[in-house]
Amino acid sequence: MDKVFSVRNRLLSFSMAIRSVWSCLIVAACFVSIILFSLCLGEQFISLPRVLIALSGHGDQDVQFVVGTLRLPRVLMAAMVGAALASSGLVLQSMIRNPLASPDIIGITGGASAAAVCFLSFFSVTLGIIWLPVFAIAGALIAALLIYGLAWNNGVTSMRLILVGIGVSSAMGAITTFVIAASPLSTSITAYIWLTGSVYGTDWNDVEALFPWLFVSWLLALFLARRVNTQELGDQIATGLGVSMQRLRLVLLFLSVIMAAPAIAYAGAIGFVGLIAPHIARCFVTRSFAILLPVSALTGACLVMLSDLFGRLLFQPLDIPAGVFVSAIGAPFFIYLLYRQRF
Amino acid sequence: MSLLYRNTAFKWGVLLLSIGCLIFALMGSIAFGQYAIPIKHVWTAFWAFDPQSIDHIIIRTTRLSRAVVACLVGSALAVSGVLMQALTRNPLASPSIFGVNAGAVFSIVLFSTFFSATSLNTFVLLAFLGASIAGLLVYGLGSVGKDGLSPIRIVLSGAAITALFMAFTQGILVMGQEGLDSVLFWVAGSVSGRDLDMVSPLIPLFLMGITLAMLAAPHINILLSGDDIAKGLGQNILFIKVLLSVLIVGLAGGSVALGGNIGFIGLIVPHMVRPIVGYDHKWLIPISALWGATLLLCADLISRFAIMPEEVPIGVTTALLGAPLFIYLARRGRKHG
Amino acid sequence: MQIGQFRVFTFLLLSSMLIFLPVKYAMANGFSVSDSVTNNILMSQDKIRVVTLFQGATDSVIALGLVPVGVVDSWGEKPIYDYLSHVLKSVPHVGLETQPNIEAIMMLKPDLIIGAKSRHEKIHDQLSQIAPTVMTDNVYDFKASLDLTAKALSEEFKGKQVWKHFQERIENLRDGIEKSETSWPLTASVLNIRADHLRLYLQQSFSGAVLKEVGFKFPLPNKTGWGVKLKTKEALPSVNADVFFIILHSSDPAVRQNYNAWRSHPLWQILDAPKHKQVHKVDRVAWLLSGGILGANLMLDQLYQIYTIPRFGR
Repeated sequence: MDKVFSVRNRLLSFSMAIRSVWSCLIVAACFVSIILFSLCLGEQFISLPRVLIALSGHGDQDVQFVVGTLRLPRVLMAAMVGAALASSGLVLQSMIRNPLASPDIIGITGGASAAAVCFLSFFSVTLGIIWLPVFAIAGALIAALLIYGLAWNNGVTSMRLILVGIGVSSAMGAITTFVIAASPLSTSITAYIWLTGSVYGTDWNDVEALFPWLFVSWLLALFLARRVNTQELGDQIATGLGVSMQRLRLVLLFLSVIMAAPAIAYAGAIGFVGLIAPHIARCFVTRSFAILLPVSALTGACLVMLSDLFGRLLFQPLDIPAGVFVSAIGAPFFIYLLYRQRF
Repeated sequence: MSLLYRNTAFKWGVLLLSIGCLIFALMGSIAFGQYAIPIKHVWTAFWAFDPQSIDHIIIRTTRLSRAVVACLVGSALAVSGVLMQALTRNPLASPSIFGVNAGAVFSIVLFSTFFSATSLNTFVLLAFLGASIAGLLVYGLGSVGKDGLSPIRIVLSGAAITALFMAFTQGILVMGQEGLDSVLFWVAGSVSGRDLDMVSPLIPLFLMGITLAMLAAPHINILLSGDDIAKGLGQNILFIKVLLSVLIVGLAGGSVALGGNIGFIGLIVPHMVRPIVGYDHKWLIPISALWGATLLLCADLISRFAIMPEEVPIGVTTALLGAPLFIYLARRGRKHG
Repeated sequence: MQIGQFRVFTFLLLSSMLIFLPVKYAMANGFSVSDSVTNNILMSQDKIRVVTLFQGATDSVIALGLVPVGVVDSWGEKPIYDYLSHVLKSVPHVGLETQPNIEAIMMLKPDLIIGAKSRHEKIHDQLSQIAPTVMTDNVYDFKASLDLTAKALSEEFKGKQVWKHFQERIENLRDGIEKSETSWPLTASVLNIRADHLRLYLQQSFSGAVLKEVGFKFPLPNKTGWGVKLKTKEALPSVNADVFFIILHSSDPAVRQNYNAWRSHPLWQILDAPKHKQVHKVDRVAWLLSGGILGANLMLDQLYQIYTIPRFGR
């Protein structure tokens, strides 16, 4: 049996394998180093010591501007979006008990996309682009409610939820395509970039607006960790062990939406992170939700940050949206995992 | 109702009725459009063609080619859906949900962006290639793991592969910002804009595919009862499954090459037809083909008139019509499972 | 179970409160174009360093006699349009119009940045920290672009001169066409041929705006907006006009194929313009992509050529 590390007090009680703890630390180290890389690299190379000096508020004004106003918010946003989508995907995969679930399937992305595209085509002139996240989150929440409501037939089974989710996603996708096709010319490019997913132009307001969502939802996810582990054993066993399945399912679904919706609202419809990151995390650690959550989140964050870094560097001075590279990196990985039959 | 299944006369009646509906829809599609043409001209266009008459020319070129494409694509998608549902024994299988369409779209977009391909035959080949790869991926992805090919697994892997190819297609769009609209055609679907002389070489291919499917019908019926029983009855399962896969990919790929990504026809039509004629594929396949064509013709009519003088992409119309039906079926539970 | 219910309740309450965060930021952070201009008028300097973030701005700055120190990529004839290439030969690029690279802009140390609200609203704050930033409402209104650029560079007199000259050319052109064409005003259809459909440009597009100034009328009189997309040849009668101006979208063979398919259709041939042989191919950059006063002048050049009127003013 693996050596374990356990915590026992009034609030929390869990244990995890030492091996998993090491993996977690390694992933965290990767996370930090990617952040530092992203801060150093860009149109001009800024060496690490100068980056650190700029972060502490001293040094050349220009370097401070580049690092503090341009690069840091963008990197943080990429990290948060990746973490949020990965966590959302993990929650969904645990709830549906299938490693192929992701927030896209449950219609969240579809609802947010339809709302965002409608906003860009019809309201962005009158209202100003700053209202886009509001519309997108509203769209995602409405879609999630719609899916849950439609899937409710004396309770909600995973199968029905997925199927209704796919149906609603298709309808939302059709609306999105229609609005793009019917929209004025200048907005269709903006809409496409949004649909691909990009953290370009992030400022500190966006970061500050997104962070509370994530913080609250992560806390909640950790509190629910034990129940999630239990319900993975199957409906009947879990009910026998005292977990209220319907309520848990509702809470988990809502949790997943709360994590994914703001991330999509601020960064566009980045796909695959929610699907891939938990898989990669499962390669490193045990299947306990409490340890999978931080590792998935960190993995997702690394994935999106790397994608954004490639987007900034590969075709200078062009700035390719991060979503392009997430798919490019994520897809082969996914197929590789399939090949190794790692689930 | 179930007793009627055994009544062959009833099924013949349904078949004839379906042919009648198709002809009706065909006539409607040819007669109505943006450019108003009196009905009697429609008639004379075929029996007393006058090369000077604008109305006649429109009917024989634009309207006719559109109707033909809609028929071909509609029937091919419907039959592809029937075969897919039989092959996977999953009533929610269809080429659009299982990523086959998305794979075809991606390969066409990829090659036409980087290699500037324009001929329809090239597109058909590319679509076939993309569709096969997608189909293999979905099948592979759905089969690994401890439970094997369960319905939920294959639905999810289909959605994942669709998302994959759609993301790639999107990526190509964003990188080459010039080609936004031509790619929209593929992603959203359209049955207009194809010349009849481009399309006619493909008609025999489609008919052949559907005929092959009808010929294989008895074998499909046996396959439905389960792998073990079929093997016990002496069927060569592998051969049948491969044949069905090839047919599915061919029909779906051909539809994408002709009309872009049109979803839900392959899903809805079998569900509409099965309650009436039952599971006997000798009847299910031809009647589904007829209804698929009819349905797509009606969807095309709606697309034409909704936002004149512009047109709604037909994939949007079928999705908006089909998604509620799909959700209704999902809610009802898998009675046909 | 009570603890569980309490948790769920708090959770739902907290999450509904969180939606107010983006709303709060949205309401606090709007800005208006006129504010940004009045705050950013600079004293005229010979070597003022301007970075232009959309085609119309690049065009306007050059029309006023200055050379920008940084521009964005063009939409065609990449990386910069032929009609501007000799002026902008050694000018560095800062990325695409839709997503200019802010670090690259910063490295150029500009004194002024000219952008468009419809494209760059999101990065306005960050740009303002680099240099004073002005923005037009959209990218296709070339008069507004010219006015804004002139005001920001304190070259208003020059701007007025450029516009006056343009207006004179238009008057001259109109008189010339009126003399030679008996049925003035003519209707014009600007058709952009793409790989699988056609686009008709109406009054609110760039070429439509110029043609409107000259005095042309447009088909589909009840339609507002930039124009329509034509997917089916049956829509041809609705775009009937006295003259067609054809823009081929690219050198892609699919575009050529599509054009031939539309041209050979009988519905095309019964329309007025093809019947009277008034179908003219025009330059894509000048009519569609430039978005600026110089491009508009090039459009007029072509119109002079088409109606064989002796060129005035250039």
